[in-house]
Amino acid sequence: MDLTRREFLKTSAATATATAAGISVPAAVLAESGKGDADIQWDKGVCRFCGTGCGIMVGTKDGRVVATKGDPDAPVNKGLNCIKGYFNGKIQYGQDRLTQPLMRMKDGKFDKNGKFQAVSWETAFDEMTRQFKKTYNEMGPAGVAVFGSGQYTIPEGYTMAKLMKAGFRSNNIDPNARHCMASAVVAFIQTFGIDEPAGNYDDIEHTDTVITWGANMAECHPILWARVSDRRLTNDNVKLVNLTTISNQTSDIADSEIVFKPGSDLAIQNYLMREIIKRNAVDHDFVKKHCVFATGPYDIGYGMRPTDKYAFEAEKDIQVKELRVTLDKHEAIAQRRKEGEVVEQKNTKKPVKHWMISFEEFKRGVEPYTLDFVAEVSKGDANESMDQYKAKLKALADLYADPKRKVTSFWTMGFNQHYRGSWVNEQIYALHLLLGKQAMPGNGAFSLTGQPSACGTAREVGTFAHRLPADMVVFNPKHRARSEKLWKLPANTLNPKVGSHITKIMRDLEDGSIKWAWVQVNNPFQATANANHWIKAARKMDNFLVVSDPYPTVSAKVADLILPTAMIFEKWGLYGNAERRTQAWRQQVAPPGEAMADVWQHLEFAKRFTLKEVWGEKTVPGLKAKGFEDGKLPDVLAEAQKMGYSPEDTLYDVLFATKDNLKVKWPDTAVAKGHGNHIAEKLGDGWFPEKALFNEYREFGVNFQHDLAEFDVYYGDKVRGLKWPVIDGKETQWRFNEKYDPYCAKGSGFDFYGKALKALPSGDLDKVTKKDKTSLAHKAKIFFRPYAAPPEQPDKNYDLWFSTGRVLEHWHTGTMTRRVPELHRAVPTAQLFMNPDDAEKRGLKRNDLVWIESRRGKIKALLETQGRNRPAPGYTFAAFFDEGVFVNKVCLDVTCPMSKEEDFKKAAIKVYKA
Amino acid sequence: MNISGILVITSPEHVDDVSRQLRALPGIDIHFTDNNTGRIVITQEAETISEEVNGLKHIRTIPHVILAEMSSHYFEEDREVLDAIPAELDDEALKQDNVPAYLNE
Ligand code: SF4
Repeated sequence: MDLTRREFLKTSAATATATAAGISVPAAVLAESGKGDADIQWDKGVCRFCGTGCGIMVGTKDGRVVATKGDPDAPVNKGLNCIKGYFNGKIQYGQDRLTQPLMRMKDGKFDKNGKFQAVSWETAFDEMTRQFKKTYNEMGPAGVAVFGSGQYTIPEGYTMAKLMKAGFRSNNIDPNARHCMASAVVAFIQTFGIDEPAGNYDDIEHTDTVITWGANMAECHPILWARVSDRRLTNDNVKLVNLTTISNQTSDIADSEIVFKPGSDLAIQNYLMREIIKRNAVDHDFVKKHCVFATGPYDIGYGMRPTDKYAFEAEKDIQVKELRVTLDKHEAIAQRRKEGEVVEQKNTKKPVKHWMISFEEFKRGVEPYTLDFVAEVSKGDANESMDQYKAKLKALADLYADPKRKVTSFWTMGFNQHYRGSWVNEQIYALHLLLGKQAMPGNGAFSLTGQPSACGTAREVGTFAHRLPADMVVFNPKHRARSEKLWKLPANTLNPKVGSHITKIMRDLEDGSIKWAWVQVNNPFQATANANHWIKAARKMDNFLVVSDPYPTVSAKVADLILPTAMIFEKWGLYGNAERRTQAWRQQVAPPGEAMADVWQHLEFAKRFTLKEVWGEKTVPGLKAKGFEDGKLPDVLAEAQKMGYSPEDTLYDVLFATKDNLKVKWPDTAVAKGHGNHIAEKLGDGWFPEKALFNEYREFGVNFQHDLAEFDVYYGDKVRGLKWPVIDGKETQWRFNEKYDPYCAKGSGFDFYGKALKALPSGDLDKVTKKDKTSLAHKAKIFFRPYAAPPEQPDKNYDLWFSTGRVLEHWHTGTMTRRVPELHRAVPTAQLFMNPDDAEKRGLKRNDLVWIESRRGKIKALLETQGRNRPAPGYTFAAFFDEGVFVNKVCLDVTCPMSKEEDFKKAAIKVYKA
Repeated sequence: MNISGILVITSPEHVDDVSRQLRALPGIDIHFTDNNTGRIVITQEAETISEEVNGLKHIRTIPHVILAEMSSHYFEEDREVLDAIPAELDDEALKQDNVPAYLNE
């Protein structure tokens, strides 16, 4: 490279950075800087990784992505990127990129015990279809399943959900997002009757107090953390508190760090609410006008199997807690019972049921949570003095209760991946609602999401076992009818029975109740806790597993068929981030070899099924819904014929390439601006699938509290995403706040207008006393939820706490970021972080190779006693990105019984020298 | 050859001091500084990408640096051998038949 070109590049890099940072650049320099990258074509894009949803500019040259930069016009990141985001342009160029379908073969035929060989797409689809039909005809819609994703683009999630639910009449589609934010969703629906945050990221610049609970934002939402740091460091009044079980980088600039025991966040929240009441800091006006109080049963189990039939011998003492629990000292006080009392878990089937209670009952519920009691339950660091710890809790209460202070609480996986994840989520809203600090600029409890489109796709499109688009659910007859109408399906096509959630799909594979599964945009065989069971299920049971992925992941390795898949900038897509912002990008480069995008895979698969194969009568085990008492989905073919369909029509014709959709033409020069679309080009029938299907999907939300703009709007040059509801072209900044949200009733001030679960019976803390339901339309619920102890805790044998999570440099299971050399070099392997005293006690040194062993399995890792995570005595941490340090073999598959989200944060292990 | 644009934030009173220390690092050029807000815009040129990543880590350890984040990155000519890729991903066989050997283990 010659010197001038190098100087040009530097000038343009510096100018881009300066512009992003709001530093004025002399006009002459600005003019010069354009020349450096004159031959690079730039287009807007979205970061492939975390739920922050940073805007990036993608630079291409000669059909290859050659540069990326933070998008200075993106309001989320204002031109900055974190280190992962910065390497977006490289993830698609790993050496082992899959470019042809691979199938396990022996003697020229598919064989479950064969070796992978390259095959054509035709052969791949043929076998996949044959296997699907075999299982479907034998077991019906319940025998097949899809592992979906919070990293699906919106059109990808939509086509797959529609194919499964409307086409195959199966609700067995569930995303990895279940493991990421299902607990957050339950709390949104239970508290507000509608999903997703009220606020947005501008809360950071409006607030004077940021409290992080179980959220290592410095590593996991780095750009938001840069905004928080900026706010903190430029304003002395701003205070930060980090509540965590392991001291981490988020504590580095915090004013206070509170290290608490796993699970005791439940107790701390109740302490705070008790304090707020005692100090008379309740905003009674707000509460009276906009809230009611509620509670529910405590005996709801831990989301394990109800039987030990499949458990390893060592697992059985934990599994039995699914049936009955002996209350420990702290639980007894917290739940107003007796220590040692054995509680049969009677509400494992109905954990979400709840009823209204009075404010007096609520007060009685939080009464046991005194400072002394809660400090004893929750103090996490043995080296910290009790007095100091208590002082910190009190100071935290001071911050929340101060009427002059705005408070924003952020949380992520510490709350969500929790055996009572839905409860801790509900309680944080309870706290903010009591204070009247919710749904206003700078004031609010704000749930951060992990994945780039956990909100936009998994939640809004509804790629869950119980959901339909726009917050509708399969078990609600009205929601099914509305969806059948929008999808132009005969009545009663949709299956009312909730399908298997992602952990249950694994369990179903293990016990043979699912025999065909398709994995997309995720790596569940590495990412699901208690992995030894699931790997065995994949390889040893009689089933057929398809994995679509750009790279050979752990899931691909245990599959029977691997489909080479296009990545982020090789296709058109839209993502929705954690602040309700829907953002779009165009295809920038063509996928390599024969790799194709997921949407194309769905559409091609749909071509292989006629209506008569799927819309006849189908038996669904356990189906009991009203109108389906015989346990069968009816034959809807006659009705379909009346609607103009033929039994010979394919699902492609009926669900996707419909008359209306075929009118949405490709090429579309106005939107494409010279960019290609490998799906439209390969289909060759002249339509633009992503656009047609997005606009079709959009109908679900319009005038239904979930309004999105039309496809083309998101591709506008000036648009950097829009926060839904988008009404009359305007995005909504703060929902439920009349000043900002057009859905609020006039004169309401605040209006929690979400529609779900808005009529309740009433009772006292323990039970329903009045069965008649009262409407609580337009109100939010303040839940009382007690402290409950973690089902697995360190004991004599497994004597350390273990938690897993992310590191800054890697994304999830590392399948993309480990293929970027600079990221791999930065963090080549997952280490086990341990307190130096614990290491010494075990005769271990830094960098020793050690065994990590739990009831479920054992793995090797290098020991780290310094660095970014600093566990207190008794605690350990290792990240889950590294397939060589397979932490999910060790983790416990307990879930929150309400959300079915796994608790990856609380396992008991022992560690010894390898 | 890699060029990246990096935003460094320090407190206004430390801009000069931090700038001096930045200048002493290899491959760093200072392009703009804003004394009112403590913002310094630099570029880093590095021979290999690991040097580049280490460079950023180094910048973060300079006293009074509050934040150092990359903003833009140029890597067109960077086709360096992926010598640091995990062993199981770095397989000669990949290039021939596209079935990584370790998939069939
Ligand atoms: S990984 Fe997250 S914080 Fe980093 S650039 Fe991407 S979206 Fe932004």
